[in-house]
Amino acid sequence: MDQERSPLHYVQIDEKRCIGCVLCMKACPSKAIRVRDLKVAEIVGTCIDCGECIRVCPRGAVKAITTGSDPSTLSRYTIISASPVLYAQFGEEVMPNEVLLALRRSFKYVYDQAHIHELYNVAVGLQIKENRGKEGVVRPLISPVCPVVNRLIGYRFPSLLKNIIPIVTPREIAARELKRRLYCDKVFDTSEFGVYHITPCSAKMVSIKDPMFLKSSYLDGALGINEVYELIKKNLRDLEEDMMLHRSSGVGIGWGVSGGEIAGIEEGNYLAVSGLEETIRYLEKIEMGLFNNIEYFEFRACLEGCIGGPLTVADRYEAKRTVAKFVRMFGQEKRLKYAQAQKAYQEGWFHSEIKITPADAKNRLPLSEAIERQERIEEVFRMLPGKECGLCGSPDCRSFAEDVADAMVSLDHCVLLNLKNRGEGKREGRRNS
Amino acid sequence: MAQLTKNYPIKARDYLRAGEVSMQVQGLLKSIGFTQELIRRVSICAYEAEMNVVMHGGDGQMTVAINTDGIILNVKDSGPGIEDVSLALQEGYSTASDEAREMGFGAGMGLPNIQKNSDSLGILSEKGKGTEVKIGFKA
Repeated sequence: MDQERSPLHYVQIDEKRCIGCVLCMKACPSKAIRVRDLKVAEIVGTCIDCGECIRVCPRGAVKAITTGSDPSTLSRYTIISASPVLYAQFGEEVMPNEVLLALRRSFKYVYDQAHIHELYNVAVGLQIKENRGKEGVVRPLISPVCPVVNRLIGYRFPSLLKNIIPIVTPREIAARELKRRLYCDKVFDTSEFGVYHITPCSAKMVSIKDPMFLKSSYLDGALGINEVYELIKKNLRDLEEDMMLHRSSGVGIGWGVSGGEIAGIEEGNYLAVSGLEETIRYLEKIEMGLFNNIEYFEFRACLEGCIGGPLTVADRYEAKRTVAKFVRMFGQEKRLKYAQAQKAYQEGWFHSEIKITPADAKNRLPLSEAIERQERIEEVFRMLPGKECGLCGSPDCRSFAEDVADAMVSLDHCVLLNLKNRGEGKREGRRNS
Repeated sequence: MAQLTKNYPIKARDYLRAGEVSMQVQGLLKSIGFTQELIRRVSICAYEAEMNVVMHGGDGQMTVAINTDGIILNVKDSGPGIEDVSLALQEGYSTASDEAREMGFGAGMGLPNIQKNSDSLGILSEKGKGTEVKIGFKA
C-alpha cells in the first residue's frame, strides 16, 4: 500500500454491524478486503468503489458515502441533474416528466440529463469515424462512462487507459453547461449552491472528488437514488404543475440498460458488456490483443447496466422492462440538431481536458526483489490446501500466499493447514507410542 | 540471480478452457510488476502459442522462466509437428481444422504475431513428434 497517498474511497464498513463473515471479502473484485481475526472486515487495498460488497452484505454493514446529507437539508436552489435510471424506479405508469416535476417541488432547477446522452452519442460516433480504416490507431476504444470501469482499468489494466475515449461523460457535460448557462443568466452564483447528480452508482462520489479525465468535476455532489426515493414518492402525490422538463427521446433514456449507450451511436462494430466479472474477463482479453476488430466497448460494472446499480430501489429486471417501455414510447429518433452537435464536436466541446493516470497502489519493487517475492509467494502457495475457504482472513489462497510473503500475516492463519499438521502429528504420535 | 520457473499444462482440443494458461501467465507477470508494454507483448505471444497447442498439438505445456534479464516462454507439445516452418511464419498461412475455424481461430496469424511481439523466437519441430517454441523477451 502507498503510505503517502492512500486512495480515496467512498465505501465504508461499519465495524459495529460487521460480524466478520467472508462474503464481502469474497465478492471484492480488487481483493481489497481482509477479515481481521474473523471478527471484522477492513478495506486494506485499492477500492474501486464498485459496491459489490454493499450488495452481498446480509447485515447492511457496508455503505456508500454519497453527499452524506439528507436531501431535505439541501438548498431549494440546488441544481439537480438526474440519471435516467431514476425514471425507471417508479413503475411503468409514472412518466419521466412526472418524476422531474416531483423533484421540482423540492428543487427549483431540475434537468433531464438524458438529453445530453444523445449529444454524447454523436460525439462518440464522430470520434470512431475518425479512426475507421486507419492503421496504428488505438483499438478498441472504451467508453469512459462507468467510473468503476475507469478505476478498474486504472489500477488493474493500466495499459488500456489510452483506449478510454477522450470525451467528457454526459453527467459532467450536463453539470458544466448548467453552470455556464445559469451563470450567464446571472440567476445566481453557482458556487453557492452547486449541481447535484442523482445516481444509482456507489462510485460517483469518488469520480466527483477525484475525476480521472478532468482537472476537477463540474458536479458538486451526488445523491443516491435510494436517498431521494421517498421524497419523490411523496412529491408524486397530487402533482399539479404542468410543464415539460423531459426533453430526451428513447435514445437517451435507454442508456440505463446495458447496450443503451451503443444503441445511440451510428452504425458500427460495437459491443456492450455488463457485470464486473465479465468486464474483467473482456479487459484481460483486450489486453492480450483480442477484439481489435471491435471499434467501441460499452462496459458497465453493474449487471444489466446502471439500472443494476447498488443505490437503486426498483428491481433491476423490472426497471429494465420500464426502460424498454419508455424507449418504445419516446422513440429511437434523437431530439437534437445533428449539425449543431457536429460543430460542437469540432470545436472541442466534448473533449476531456487532461488524462490522469491513477497512482499504482503497489510500491514498485526492483525487479530482482519482485522476482524473489514471487518465489516466496509460489512457495507458500504450494503448501496451501487450495480450498479457497477464506477462513484465514484473505479472499483466496493466492492472496493469502501474497499476504504471508509480504509478512502481513503468518502461515498459521491457515486453518486447514493447521488441522492437517495436527492430524499428521497425532498419527505420528500414535506410531511412536 | 533471482530466478522463477513455472509450468502450466495445456490440453489439446479443449476449446472451453483455451486461453486460461495465458491469463495465468499474464497474472503472474502483473504480480511481479513488469511494465505494461512488456506484459502486453508476452500475453499476446502466450495466447497465440497456447492456441497453437490447443488447435494443432497433442497435449503440451508452457514453461515460464523469469529472471532479471527477461522472460522466456517455452511451449512444447507432442502434436504432428510443423512441416514447413518458414511457411508457418507467413501471415495467413494456416492448417487449422474446420472445427477451429468455426470458432474463429486459425487465421494464420499465430506465429507471425509471436514473431512481431517477441525479441527472439526459436522453433524446433519434427514431423510426427511435436514442436517446441521458445519465445524470448528482454526485461
